[in-house]
Amino acid sequence: MLQHADLLPGNLDLVVLKAISLGDVHGYGVLLRIQAISNGAILVQQGALYPALYRLEHQGLITSEWGTSDHNRRAKFYSITTLGARAFSEQQTSWTRLTDAIALALSAVPQPTVQAS
Amino acid sequence: MSRSTGRASLAALTARLRSLHRSILAHEQSESDIREEFEHHIAMRTAHLISEGLPPIAAESQARVEFGHVESHRVDARRARGLRRIDQIRVSWIDVKLGFRMLVKHPVLTLASVFALAVGIPVGLAPAHLAHAVNAPLPGDTHNRVRAIRYWDPATVSIAGTSYEEFAVWSRSLSGFSSLAAFRAVTLSVSVGNERAEPVASALLTGAAFDILGARPQMGRTLNMADVAQGAPSVAVIGHRLWVSRFNSDAQIIGRNIRVGGTLTTVVGIMPDAFRFPSNEQLWIPLHDERDTGLLSGMQVLVIGQLSDGFSAERAEAEVRNIAMPKTGDAIELQRQQRLRVEVVPFGLLYLGLPRGGLAALPEYYFVQLLMFALLLVACGNVAMLVFARTATRLREIAIRTALGASRSRIVSQIFVETFIFSSLAAVLGVFTVDWVVRQLNLASIAGLPAMPYWLTLDVTGGTIVNAVILATVCATVAGIVPAIRITGRAVNQNIRAFSAVRFGKLTSALVIADIAVAVIAVALSFTTVRQMLDLREQQVAGIPAAEYLAVEFRLSDDVVLRNRDEKAGGLTERRATVQRALVTALSTEPGVTGVAVGDVLPLMEHRSQSFELEKVSNGANVASKWVRTASVDVDYFRALGQTVVTGRDFTRNDAENADGKIIVNTPFVDRVLGGHNPIGQHVRFPSNRQRTGEADVDGRWYEIVGVVRHLGVNMVNSEHGEAVYFPVLPGRLNPMQVAIHVGASPLKFMPRVREIAGALDPDLTVSHPVVLGDVRQSDWYLTLGVGGALTLLAVVLVALATSGLFAMLSLSVSERTREIGIRAALGATQTVLVLTILRRSLIQIGIGALIGLPVAAALNIAVAMESQTSPVRALLIATALSAGIVGAVAVLSCLVPTRRVLAIQATEAMRAEA
Repeated sequence: MLQHADLLPGNLDLVVLKAISLGDVHGYGVLLRIQAISNGAILVQQGALYPALYRLEHQGLITSEWGTSDHNRRAKFYSITTLGARAFSEQQTSWTRLTDAIALALSAVPQPTVQAS
Repeated sequence: MSRSTGRASLAALTARLRSLHRSILAHEQSESDIREEFEHHIAMRTAHLISEGLPPIAAESQARVEFGHVESHRVDARRARGLRRIDQIRVSWIDVKLGFRMLVKHPVLTLASVFALAVGIPVGLAPAHLAHAVNAPLPGDTHNRVRAIRYWDPATVSIAGTSYEEFAVWSRSLSGFSSLAAFRAVTLSVSVGNERAEPVASALLTGAAFDILGARPQMGRTLNMADVAQGAPSVAVIGHRLWVSRFNSDAQIIGRNIRVGGTLTTVVGIMPDAFRFPSNEQLWIPLHDERDTGLLSGMQVLVIGQLSDGFSAERAEAEVRNIAMPKTGDAIELQRQQRLRVEVVPFGLLYLGLPRGGLAALPEYYFVQLLMFALLLVACGNVAMLVFARTATRLREIAIRTALGASRSRIVSQIFVETFIFSSLAAVLGVFTVDWVVRQLNLASIAGLPAMPYWLTLDVTGGTIVNAVILATVCATVAGIVPAIRITGRAVNQNIRAFSAVRFGKLTSALVIADIAVAVIAVALSFTTVRQMLDLREQQVAGIPAAEYLAVEFRLSDDVVLRNRDEKAGGLTERRATVQRALVTALSTEPGVTGVAVGDVLPLMEHRSQSFELEKVSNGANVASKWVRTASVDVDYFRALGQTVVTGRDFTRNDAENADGKIIVNTPFVDRVLGGHNPIGQHVRFPSNRQRTGEADVDGRWYEIVGVVRHLGVNMVNSEHGEAVYFPVLPGRLNPMQVAIHVGASPLKFMPRVREIAGALDPDLTVSHPVVLGDVRQSDWYLTLGVGGALTLLAVVLVALATSGLFAMLSLSVSERTREIGIRAALGATQTVLVLTILRRSLIQIGIGALIGLPVAAALNIAVAMESQTSPVRALLIATALSAGIVGAVAVLSCLVPTRRVLAIQATEAMRAEA
């Protein structure tokens, strides 16, 4: 089993956006979906999920609507907006570039020193 | 920024606003949603854990543990929605109670603050209140559906006349108005039986007017469509005041005949006192439709109408604009007609001649409003200083509360509530005090009117109170939150440690200095204004013994439809001329009368301003002076006033009869406009001279100066700026005419005889406004008194603010430095040194304020003294003395109590108390 990864501050929003971009889902569903798509590597503290959801909604990146869940309960479903999809795409590109850069940096091996003539 | 980025920003902004709106305005729903969502999450997790084999109770317990502290997440959720600041603001009932307690605890500061805002808030409200009053619907127009139709000339920013024919066309064509009415105000002579005729402010109205205005009679009936039909019997409706004063409230008056303008007329109704349309009229007679007789040709009327259901004023105006009117006249007249704009506006704008939008459409309005807000801001700044001083005395309390966990916002909101309490108190107090004062004042006199229009009410309304509360909130925000933020800023941590003193900053010093400087200037200005008017009052103009002249206004009914129906306009002028000649002859032959002067205006009265051009400007002439006062006078005007021509010659009968453009100017005109050069033979013209009465009514013609008279008093506000031009007119051209009768002592005693003579000459000749010529400035006196009073009040407010501000600062300073004073005293400091230690800063502020204000005040006084050719040295001395008085008063009042407290401090006690 994979070790749990700690989320860096700010990255929770990106992961939540990804989870919602896969389809409309309620709060608990977001949690489950993050676990599923990260093979359980990312564990989000449950209560902390909601400030992230409200923040994204406040920013217009996701929108919400009350509906009925599989258990026949009233639940609030979140969906990604056009603005959110664009923001996610930009953040994803940025993240990939960053992780590639860090991976490259971390994989560096010692080079022979060039003496100045 | 690309279009897509712009759209994204807009979408994000919209989302934030929607989120904030939902969280603030639908607060309960939003909170309930959060709770429900959390519960849903916990329920889902519980179900999940049960499915993994946990017992239900243990599953729910674990789900709750995993979820964490619900309340914390709820707070975090609200913060995520941008509500952190709003959440920190809490207002409790205790804050309100504390606020009232603080009012009582610091009575001096409370009084000063309430006084400042009680003056400042009504001053800030006044322009908008007046603008609203002008636009308000007429009494009786409950649904605000009455509008006026008028022509507006954008070039001259004035109303252009509407003819009866145009009214008739509109009446036939417009569907946007359910009914239209035309009217015009006239002064008519009214007599009953053999009694003498008296002038009565009257209105001629078409049949629908009363219905449009929603006016119901007190007795009898109003006028109707049948009354205005051609050949209909003459009927009249009288006003309540006329009924009481002239007919002794006779209930049998309905159906009786009275004589109106020489015509026997039946009284058919009495209107209640609340109806005085269009302004303060007391008699209403039908405006007969006699277009086919030609009697109404060219008659100017005003038009009102009631908007049809479903029609807005804008839509009705669009309809009126689509109606083409035939244009007639010469090239200039056609050009004028071309630029006219037809408008549908509230009645007040028609009556007062204001542009669309009312007072708020005038640039001057914004200037005044800005000035008033600036004054209010100054008051707020001063109150902020007082709040700062008061809050500084509570540092210990604030520090303890902060240590116990009170947030900064919590403390700021408490101080805001305290400030809001007295700013609201000041707003209500100020508004109702001003309302009471306005009721006591004779506003009409101040405005130079015989009476205020009946529909113009300045009473306090619900809207006024709402605006006052809004302004009070703004004041509380400025005066409460700013000092509170400062006090609770970085100093709080230090305060927790040492309860150290807060220092008054540069802004506070600047406020005190500005207060003193402006107070000094305001006092000097009010002194100058009042003194100038006192001088004017006592002034004898150019040797005219004004106290020996009786000034009377004579008027012959000018309405052709009222007179014998076969009389045309030309005949009316001839009749007026006959009456004028006979009147002057009759008055002149009375024992004791030594002169009768006739003009459209008399010396000492406000003469009309008119722009002019000089044909050639000699070297040294003042080309900048483009406005001049004008008067149309009988050719014997100057002789009757005992005036001899200084240069050139007096008017002759030929000047008026030949209408060959001869004028006389006065000495200020020669000095200021012509630079002292010989005026005789110089030519002047008056581009806007289309309205002038009599022969001079030719646009753009050149007038030749034939003589110069002395300054006879033509400009009431500034007597020395009295460049004037006199036009000769033939008898019969002036209506009304102002007549000055030189009768010697007690001129008013001659008035009964004047009435007898007028009554014998023509029953339609009305006599009104009798006054001793020397007293005609009375209304102007009220205006000056108002201006002087306002400036004095401003000075008093500023002095009070500066005094209370300094007092507060000094008191605080003494409290905080008691220990230091005690030590100094123990070390042998003299009392003078101790007092100066505390007072130095304040005395410097007072000194700087005086140094700034004094030169300005002195310069103003010197400027006025130079204008009125009085001694500048005297003016300078007075200004200095006044300023010194103010500065001294501020210093004594603010420093007295703190000084006594310093002197009362005993070293041992002070050190023991602080230990």
